Amino acid sequence: MKPLSGLGWIYLLALFTFVFAPIVASVIFSFNSDRFPTLPLGSFTTDWYVRAFGRAEVWTAIGNSLIVAAVTSFLATFIGFATAYTDFRYGFKFKQAYLALALLPPTLPLVIMGLAMLAWLSQVGLSGTLTGIVIAHVVLATPFAMAICRLRLSQMDPSLEAAAWNLGAGQWAAMRYVILPFCGPAIVSALCLTAAVSFDEFIVAWFVSGLNRTVPVMILEILQGNVDPQINAIGTVVFLTSMSLVIAAQVLIFRRRRDG
Amino acid sequence: MADPTTEPLVSFRSVHKAFGTYVAVKSLDLDIHRGEFIAFMGPSGCGKTTTLRMLAGLEAPTSGTITIGGKVMNDVPPHQRDTPLVWQSLALFPFLSVVENVEFGLRMRGVAPKERRDRAMLWLERMQLKGFETRRIDQLSGGQRQRVALARSLVTEPEMLLLDEPLSALDAHLVIRMQGVLTRLQKELGITFVYVTHSQSEAFAMADRVVIMGNGEIAQVGRPQEIFRGPKSRFVAEFVGRNNILGGTVKAGMLETAQGVVPVPAVRDGKAEIVVAADRVTVSGARPEGAAIRASFLSEEFAGTGIICYFETADGAEWKAQVTESQLATLQPESGQEFWLSWNANSAHVMGG
Repeated sequence: MKPLSGLGWIYLLALFTFVFAPIVASVIFSFNSDRFPTLPLGSFTTDWYVRAFGRAEVWTAIGNSLIVAAVTSFLATFIGFATAYTDFRYGFKFKQAYLALALLPPTLPLVIMGLAMLAWLSQVGLSGTLTGIVIAHVVLATPFAMAICRLRLSQMDPSLEAAAWNLGAGQWAAMRYVILPFCGPAIVSALCLTAAVSFDEFIVAWFVSGLNRTVPVMILEILQGNVDPQINAIGTVVFLTSMSLVIAAQVLIFRRRRDG
Repeated sequence: MADPTTEPLVSFRSVHKAFGTYVAVKSLDLDIHRGEFIAFMGPSGCGKTTTLRMLAGLEAPTSGTITIGGKVMNDVPPHQRDTPLVWQSLALFPFLSVVENVEFGLRMRGVAPKERRDRAMLWLERMQLKGFETRRIDQLSGGQRQRVALARSLVTEPEMLLLDEPLSALDAHLVIRMQGVLTRLQKELGITFVYVTHSQSEAFAMADRVVIMGNGEIAQVGRPQEIFRGPKSRFVAEFVGRNNILGGTVKAGMLETAQGVVPVPAVRDGKAEIVVAADRVTVSGARPEGAAIRASFLSEEFAGTGIICYFETADGAEWKAQVTESQLATLQPESGQEFWLSWNANSAHVMGG
């Protein structure tokens, strides 16, 4: 790989500044005593945090988000891994169509997806329930899990599984002792990433959540009332949670590259 | 009941394997005996690897039967066979340590942890890998990985070991050393080795019997020497060794060819092809007695044991002759220069005869 030139570095720096400045600003103002986000800054305070996390509905929303994210990440990773393994192991007719369909959901406009989910979930009586949000998020997150698992499987020597059979492992034993350990880092990374996708996701959740609001939906509802620095405090916590999950996923991906 | 000592370990009977419309193996009939080192050799796509995979149960024959130890094995899944395979890629498990790799087969067979660790350690010792047991696979050299793969396959004490081009990824000097390791191991264990390779030197150096395959069929089976000196067909003659082929019509002990008339060993009158090995050809400037043809020099190639000189006959056929360095210095051939290539008439091999 070519080292980055001086101009390249400046470009990269400008890009990251542009992307992260609003988030950094939000973090700074969450510790600022002034009611409105203006410069110069007032004094340092954790008051907004105390107030935001003193509200019962914030905790309910966080609880909802965590439950949805946890269940979604398990289901999405399981389905995503199974889909990727099917692709790895079997050749069949219409495989390209199968893959295209499996990767389709993130390419759909979220508004369409949210509307469709709302219509469908109310038909089956799940709209407004956490189960409904989980179903919608699994649809959204599974392709990410599948992509990560597929990448890992593509790095595997195809003889590895057959070698396990050859040494006396049946299909399930080979899955348990060879395929799963080999894909271990990818699976954990998929769990983190799908949890982050669910935790952050707003539009679809807004359509289907009803009274069981998740954190992003709650933030919007507070914002609609007034601009309150408590939003900055909640936003900072959400940002840190998502970033931790995404960074954990990245670290696992990079570590397995080195192991490669 | 048949005597288990003389009964072949493996029998292929009219085995056919097709992938869709592509026929990989056609009407294969072959017995593999207990304790023999047999090598399947042929160009890529000749069906040798498919044959090996059928023995391991990774492919099922389309028709015909494969018996191992007297039992029909056609549809027995791989994990219920005792046919460990040393893979071309070695297929060592990267997430397991060296000793965990070696004990994998025992673990899958439900051997208790203590016993399997002990047995794995014995094999590591035998393969001179003591002290490496806790290493990861990527911390080993190519030769060490090779020995781990062997230990992993042999730890279950199978009757037969399958090897799929196991030395193809090694440096030349390691190949020679591993050939020694393999032949010694096979003699010590007394088990059957089934070795697949495209390398003539590996097959001929190690195997008791060599099976030459081409286009999914057996072209010739025999001891290395038999095949090397007595190829049965043009395909075998061109594939093994450095052979020259001369075709023509035999009349009263003389072969009439486009290159002239040469004496041949006793053979019936009619069309015939003879094979003259490059190491049995003498290059000279003046016409010698006996069997000889005229050809012009093209180029030379250093080949370790000697120098291979390439010639072209008047009708465009390529001839090879192996000479020593001092012979080459005396001849001082120049491109296009004409020479006589001669051989002892009785050292030529008549094909199909």
